[in-house]
Parts: sequence; C-alpha cells; structure tokens
Amino acid sequence: MPSRNIIEIENLHKSYSGFKALNNIHLSIEKSKIFGLLGPNGAGKTTLIRIINQILTPDVGTVKFDGEILSRKHIHHIGYLPEERGLYKKMKVGEQAIYLAQLKGLSKKEAKEKLNYWFEKLGATNWWNKKIEDLSKGMAQKVQFITTVLHDPKVLILDEPLSGLDPVNSLMIKNEILELKKRKTSIILSTHDMNSVEEICDEAAIINHSEKIMQGGIQELKEKYQENSWTIKYRGNQMSFTNAVWGGWEIITHKKINENTNKAEIRLLNQFTINQFIKGIVDHVEIVDINLKTPTIQEVFIKATTNE
Amino acid sequence: MSKIGLIISREYITRVRKKSFILMSFLGPLLIVGFVLLTAYLSSGEKEKYEILVVDESHLFDSILRNSTKYHLQWAPKDKSYSEVQELFKEDAELDLLVYLPINLIKTNFMTAKCLYKDIPSTGVQKHLSGIINEAIELYRVSYNKIDINTYKSIKTRINLDVVDIENEANKNIQRKAFIGIAFSMFIYLFIFIYSVQVMRGVIEEKTNRIVEIIISSVSTFELMMAKIIGVGLVGITQFIIWTSVTFIMSLTILPQIIPDKYNPASQIESDKISENITLIDPSNEILQFIIYEIQWPYLILFFILFFLGGYFLYSGLMAAIGAAVDEEADTQQFLLPLTIPMVFALMMAGKVIDDPSSSLSFWLSEIPFTSPIIMIVRIAMGIGDSSVEVWEIILSLFLLIIAFIFTTWLSSKIYRKGILSFGKKASYSEIIKWLRS
Repeated sequence: MPSRNIIEIENLHKSYSGFKALNNIHLSIEKSKIFGLLGPNGAGKTTLIRIINQILTPDVGTVKFDGEILSRKHIHHIGYLPEERGLYKKMKVGEQAIYLAQLKGLSKKEAKEKLNYWFEKLGATNWWNKKIEDLSKGMAQKVQFITTVLHDPKVLILDEPLSGLDPVNSLMIKNEILELKKRKTSIILSTHDMNSVEEICDEAAIINHSEKIMQGGIQELKEKYQENSWTIKYRGNQMSFTNAVWGGWEIITHKKINENTNKAEIRLLNQFTINQFIKGIVDHVEIVDINLKTPTIQEVFIKATTNE
Repeated sequence: MSKIGLIISREYITRVRKKSFILMSFLGPLLIVGFVLLTAYLSSGEKEKYEILVVDESHLFDSILRNSTKYHLQWAPKDKSYSEVQELFKEDAELDLLVYLPINLIKTNFMTAKCLYKDIPSTGVQKHLSGIINEAIELYRVSYNKIDINTYKSIKTRINLDVVDIENEANKNIQRKAFIGIAFSMFIYLFIFIYSVQVMRGVIEEKTNRIVEIIISSVSTFELMMAKIIGVGLVGITQFIIWTSVTFIMSLTILPQIIPDKYNPASQIESDKISENITLIDPSNEILQFIIYEIQWPYLILFFILFFLGGYFLYSGLMAAIGAAVDEEADTQQFLLPLTIPMVFALMMAGKVIDDPSSSLSFWLSEIPFTSPIIMIVRIAMGIGDSSVEVWEIILSLFLLIIAFIFTTWLSSKIYRKGILSFGKKASYSEIIKWLRS
C-alpha cells in the first residue's frame, strides 16, 4: 500500500562531539502538503534538513522516503534551497542551472527545456548568459529557486525562500510554491516568517532545544494555545464598560475607534464565562461585535518555545 | 556523464576558459624562451665590438697578437709613456679596454699583463684576452726556439673534460643536466603549489557561497573533493602540455631567426674553423646545443607529469582539507606554512643533490613523498642509471608517493567532511584533531 506520508522520521538522534543536535525526533510529513518546520535558531532544523538531504547521517533512527528507507536513489526526488544562498559567482546563469540540474539527474536536453520554461515563467529569459555576480540579490535568489525546482522533485525543502525578496517577488515565489503543491509536490518550509506559515502551510512542527515540541495542522496548533480571550466592539462609555462587571476578567487592550465606539480585548479568568460577561455589560453598553480571539502562529511559536 | 565526471568537467572547463589561464599558456613559454635567450645573450657578452688599446712595452707582440673584428686591437703610440697612454684611454670614449703588456712578459712566466677598463668586461672577454696573449707568447717562443709551426699546431690542444658515466657513455655533462633538473624542480614546485592552492581556493569558494550544501546533497563529500582535485590537476597538465608544445614550436621558429649563427651548430663550427687554431667556443652556442641535443626530453616530460601528479595529489588533498577548515582565505596562513616548508626545504636541498646525486641524502629526499617530486626530477635530469638515479629508485619513489597520497587523501577527506559544513568559525588544530578522531 502506498504511503500517505512522503517523509517519516522515527526516533532520530544526532550529536556533534557531545552536543545533542537532535533528540528523539518523530515526524511525519504528508504528501502534497506544505509543511512548516519551525524553531528558534540553533534548535536543530538545519541538522534535520541535512539528514533528509543525506548530507549528514543520523546516529540513531530511521528516515523513510515515500515508504522506503531513505537512500542515495532518492536524491533525485529532493530539491533543496539552503538558507544561505550560494551559486558560483563567475559562472553564467544558464550554464550553472544546467550543471546543477545534471547533478540532480536530468539530461542536458531536459534541463534546457525545463529551464526555458521556468525562465519564461519567472521573467528571467534575458539572464541566461549573465554571470551570477552581475545579478541583483533578488534575481540571484530567483535563479536559485529555479535550480531547486528544475528537476521536478517530489519533495522540496525550502529554507527561508522569501528572505531578501521584495514584496512583488515574494508574492511571485509564494504563488509558485502553492502551484507546486497543486502539482503534488510536498514542500518543507523552514522559516521564521510566521505570516507566510499562516498563509501557505497546511501543517507545521516546532522544534526547540533539539526536540520536537509540537506538530499538527495550523488550526490545530492554534487551538492548542487558544486562551479564553475575546475582542469586543461596543458603543458607549469606557467607564460604563469597565465598571459593568466586577471581577472574573481583565482588559488586555482597549482602543477608541471613534467618538462613541471602542474595541477591547479581554481575557476571562477562572470559570467566568462569556455569557456571564455579556449579561453584565449588556445593560451598560451596546455590543457591536464579539469574537473569540485565535492566537497567531507567531504567538503559538513564542509561547511554545518560551514555555509561557 | 556521471556526476563525478560532471564536476570534473566543470572544474576543468571553468578554469581553462579563464583569461588568466589563456594568458599564462602563452606567457609561460615566452618567459622560458626569453630566459634561455637571455642566458645565451648574457653568456655571449653584451657588446658586439670591443676597441682595445694595447701598450706593448717589448714591441714584440704587434705581429703575433691575434686581431679580430670583435676584439679590435689598436697599438698605443710608441713614444708615449704608459701613464700618458692611460690619459689617452680615459679621454677617448671609443676605447673600451686598455691592455698593458709589460716589457718582460714575453720572456718570463712570472709577469702579469693588465687590463684596464671603463666598464668591467665579461668573463668571456677576459678569457679571450688572456687566450690571445698566451697564444702570442707561445707563438713568439715557437719561433724563437725555431720550432716548426706545424709541430706546434699538432701539439697545441684545447681539451674539454667530459665527465662520463661508465655504464652509460651517452650520459655526460651531468652538472649541466642538473641545472635543467633544477629548472624542472622549480616548475614542479610552482605547478604543485599553484594548482593545489587553486583546489584550496575552490573549496573555500564553494564553502563561503554555500553552494557546497547543494552539491553534497547530490554527491558525497569524498566524491566532490576528488572530482575537484582531478579537475584542477587536469588543468595543470593541460597548462604544462601547452607550455611544452608552445615552447617547442617557438624554439623551432623564433630562435633561428633571432640568433641564426648561434642557433645552428654547423654554421658555428664553420665560422670558427680552426684556421686560427685556438678559439674560444661561444658559450651560448654550447648551451643551445646542449639544450637541444643532450637533454632526454621525453623522459623528463614523462617523469615531470608523473611526479607533478603524485606531488599534486599529495598536497592538494591537504589543501582541500585546509580550505574546508577555514571560512576565508585569510585564515589559511597558519595551516599553509607547515605544508610549504617541506617543498621549500626540498628546493634548498637541490643544490646538495647536484653535488652528489647518489648520496644517501639525495636518496632519502627523493624517496620521502613530501620532498620526492622536487628532488627526484633533479636526479632524473642528471641521468637515469647508476650515476644519478636507478630505475628501482624511481619506481619506489612513485610507489611511496601513491601510498602517501592515498593516506593523506583519506585523512583530508575526514577533515573536509566535517569542515565543509562548519560555518562561521575557523577551525583550530585541536578541533581538526577532534574531527580526525571522530
């Protein structure tokens, strides 16, 4: 039976001269999904990515690729965009892209065809004979993105793919990532840009101090850190609002929207419910809007990694 | 093409396409030919013609002192004293030398002739002058003692001492061959150094621009290191082959035009015909003859390539490890020094090896892999056989070089593997030892 997961990691350990870089990692990445690999600097993300790329070998544990134990034959099915971008500065764009594609197992002819397609798609047709050193940072980054996806990998590992890009190019690459997902590419996105995680990831895992501390769908992760916090928009006097109910809640923020309208963010304490709160204020102010506040991924990340 | 083949060809093509490579391919041979020409020129003297004023106190030399166009003799006025002639010599800008032959010079063997100069004459000129003075004295004595001139000619000889290997008579001029060997050892040193440093730079480039992570996700670190070493090594061989071919073609086309009479040994012999009995053989001619006819170029080139490759592989593996251990080129100094010391030491010892190519010092230096490429080529240039180096010694040296190369590559690959992914700091010796142990 074909595996549901493209990558399955079990009981993975890796140490460097006594330092534990990864400790007992279990991770599964579903096919055709965008998977966010999150964690503070030095948490072990790069080590994990290098193990999947077979640059490093684990001390203990297994990595499966599409149900099979990961081996050299899977190299051609992985595309990797490292965080620190790098291409040969003196080499011409076209030549370099063909060279890297050939290293990933494409023939020269195939590489050329695909390169033409991608160059046209990302508006890079005129760059073929330019040297990398003559391109701007953003242009070079696009070239590197192209070289990563050129061989149609089943798994794409993107380490901070949007850093250094202007908003237009950033959007362009984001759209390409989503399109690749539609074409059944599984994508591992390692990033500190939590907005893009929220925008494009289906699932995510957070690694901290060499261990996986949580994994799940984006919504699922948010729910885990859901607090009893609400945003309330009301018409009326701020004093009437704050004095309406005594105890059981606290104001986190309060903002005047216009002369008569305010927006407050509140947290309910202990067993105090939103119904009790509404009952308390409804005679004093007019409620315009009320919402349960969902944490952002950024908030989830901070809470998870700082044990708040 | 296999991935290793791909990397080799990228390393090779990007380098041979560089302007600096193309420039050096032609500049190198020009420098070599220029150097040979310069040597020939310097050893043949700078001036075309010397005006020499002769003070002959005995008045016996004027008919017997050999005059020639190049060394043109003028006789000082007989009524002027030696000091007056000196004044005359000083004032006349056209005169180059003043030769003073004291009165008793021709009669005794104890007097000394003098040569006063404005610009110091070369040893060739000095040799010529003492040659013609000796010749004149001899001719005077021949006639004074009524010896038949033909008898004198038959007695008169000028001997060159050929130092010849008893086992191999063709092997002569061993000391001169040694200088060719020194030149080749310099080339080996330069080639090993230049190209192994290129490997190091290549590794640093890949490490600093982080492309190495992409490449080693496709090939192993060992394959990448070896492919780089092979690719750059091929560039070295290509450069050497271009140098030899261009030098050869230049020698055949340019040299005869620049120095036609000196280039062709036959014409030289013709012009120097023993009509004058005693001649100074033009040293430039001798050098060219020697270079063209007496050096065993095919062997020298073959062993140059073999020992260059051996030495290059030995050092470039270590250089690759250094490149992987540092973050930028400026950090390489502390590691480069221990690597260059054996090579520089070998170059310094080359002089001792020439003095006695069969000594145990020569033997060991040409067998120990870190010095052998530089020293063995000197011994090979001095002649393969009993006199300098035996075939088994060459084979043993190559064998040891290969063993050492395999060992250092194994060692280097361990450092390379760890170093290439360690960013942001330069490794210390203790860290490298830790990498080796892990």
